[in-house]
Amino acid sequence: MAPLPSTFNRAEVRKLGLRFAPSLIETIETVTHLAAFTLITLATGWTRFGQNSRVIRPRTLHEIHRSGVQLLPIVGFLGIALGVVFVGQTLALMQQVGASGFSGTLIVTVFIRELAPLTAGLVVLARVGTATVIELGTARALGEVEALEALGVDPIHYLVLPRVVGFTTSVLCLSLYLILLTLTSGYAFAFTRGLKTSPAEFFGSIALALNWLDFPMLLAKTTSFGAAIGLIICYHGLARPLALDEVSQATTRTVGHCVIACLLLDALFIALYLFL
Amino acid sequence: MSALPIITLDGVRILHPHNPKSSLLNDVSWQVEAGSFWVVAGLQGSGKSALLETIAGIRPQASGSVQLFGETIPIRSDDALALTEIRRRTGLLFKGNGRLFPALSVLENLALPRCYHRNETLSEAASDLAPLINYLELDGLLEQIPSHLGSSWSRRVALGRALAQQPELILLDNPLSGLDTTQMRWWRQFLRDASQGHPALGGSPLTLVITTDELTPLLPLGHQFALTHGGRWTVLGNRAAVHTARGQEGVREILGEIH
Repeated sequence: MAPLPSTFNRAEVRKLGLRFAPSLIETIETVTHLAAFTLITLATGWTRFGQNSRVIRPRTLHEIHRSGVQLLPIVGFLGIALGVVFVGQTLALMQQVGASGFSGTLIVTVFIRELAPLTAGLVVLARVGTATVIELGTARALGEVEALEALGVDPIHYLVLPRVVGFTTSVLCLSLYLILLTLTSGYAFAFTRGLKTSPAEFFGSIALALNWLDFPMLLAKTTSFGAAIGLIICYHGLARPLALDEVSQATTRTVGHCVIACLLLDALFIALYLFL
Repeated sequence: MSALPIITLDGVRILHPHNPKSSLLNDVSWQVEAGSFWVVAGLQGSGKSALLETIAGIRPQASGSVQLFGETIPIRSDDALALTEIRRRTGLLFKGNGRLFPALSVLENLALPRCYHRNETLSEAASDLAPLINYLELDGLLEQIPSHLGSSWSRRVALGRALAQQPELILLDNPLSGLDTTQMRWWRQFLRDASQGHPALGGSPLTLVITTDELTPLLPLGHQFALTHGGRWTVLGNRAAVHTARGQEGVREILGEIH
């Protein structure tokens, strides 16, 4: 290894290294453990697919209901608000500057590709994800996970898979719901403010701005957000034994890690868009 | 011909859960034959619960080997799938309230292992479990959730959950602590029924391992006795051997309350 430039104070560098080394090691450990947890979950899903369906299927439907159906009102409200704030104002502004032709491209690039999946993911994280970490962390702290193991019930199969599938399905469906409501409410708002574009023209411009890649990319993005949120939540709740007073810290950590994971995935998808 | 050992422990060392540098129990070597009724006595914190959890394969031992039904329990906890079959043949009752699942009703708690392993619906499992539910006197509580139950009834539900798969081996962690006389009478009768065989419990005599920090109620019931004291494991033997060992350190403390 090359020696450090002489302008560096070695003692200061050592001090700096010592200060950041524990958090760096912790980050590497978390990423490694999370990757292992993901692989174990995938392997369990693969090997136990369709097994114990009379227990796992209702649990999965329950999770979809909890993280998806029950969030329809709040996501609906967000969709209308975003429609008014973003789409409606964008349409009005573009008309004022005579650039109505670019409205579709702007909405697709900013909202459909970026904001909608991220918003849906964050709403699921905030409304259900945090509660799920507390639920799982408490179950772990009170020994319920060991009780499942003692009964021969695989905790990954029983606790993790239904949640990951539920979160994945919910983020996908809520994103589509959000897009539909935002576009509709945005157009309605802009129309009341004197927009001269007909609904057919508006939705036609959106359709024209979309290319074939947007559909698989939206599907991949929303499902990966949902899966990442589900996996991180279950990892922090279950992967290591927690004391009851550690559950709140685990919840805070989970929110931070989920947001970082979603942003990193988002960056990855932007890079994919640019390359494809 | 001697009966086949159900549990074989060889030189097992169990670490303290909150201090992995210190041992809770050292050098446990033990064989439990089918149909026997073992009482493991020891003061609180002497490692009885940890021992049962190690036998059940949910707490890895630091060293030594554990065999259940002739199969070695792997030390690595991520080999959980390999343990599924062994766990189906073993029932474990945790101490205290039995670690019931708080979000599930009593019936769902009881039926979970059957629904999961046999892919039964709740009503099918309830129908199959009817004799056991009746035996446990839980008929009136099936729709309740665990937080609405008293400690002794929670424990009985947890016992039902452990028995739901008709296991051959039952590990009971201090089930008699803090019971009133009615509950105590019921549990003593259950232990007799389990060790002799009862139609509601599968018919055949079960192999029983029960831990206690008070030997008095179990002295007339158990067949074999062992002691955990100061990190040491001692097999005392039968009832007569317990009386003979009365003066020994550890045994004295366990029997101290009655003598």
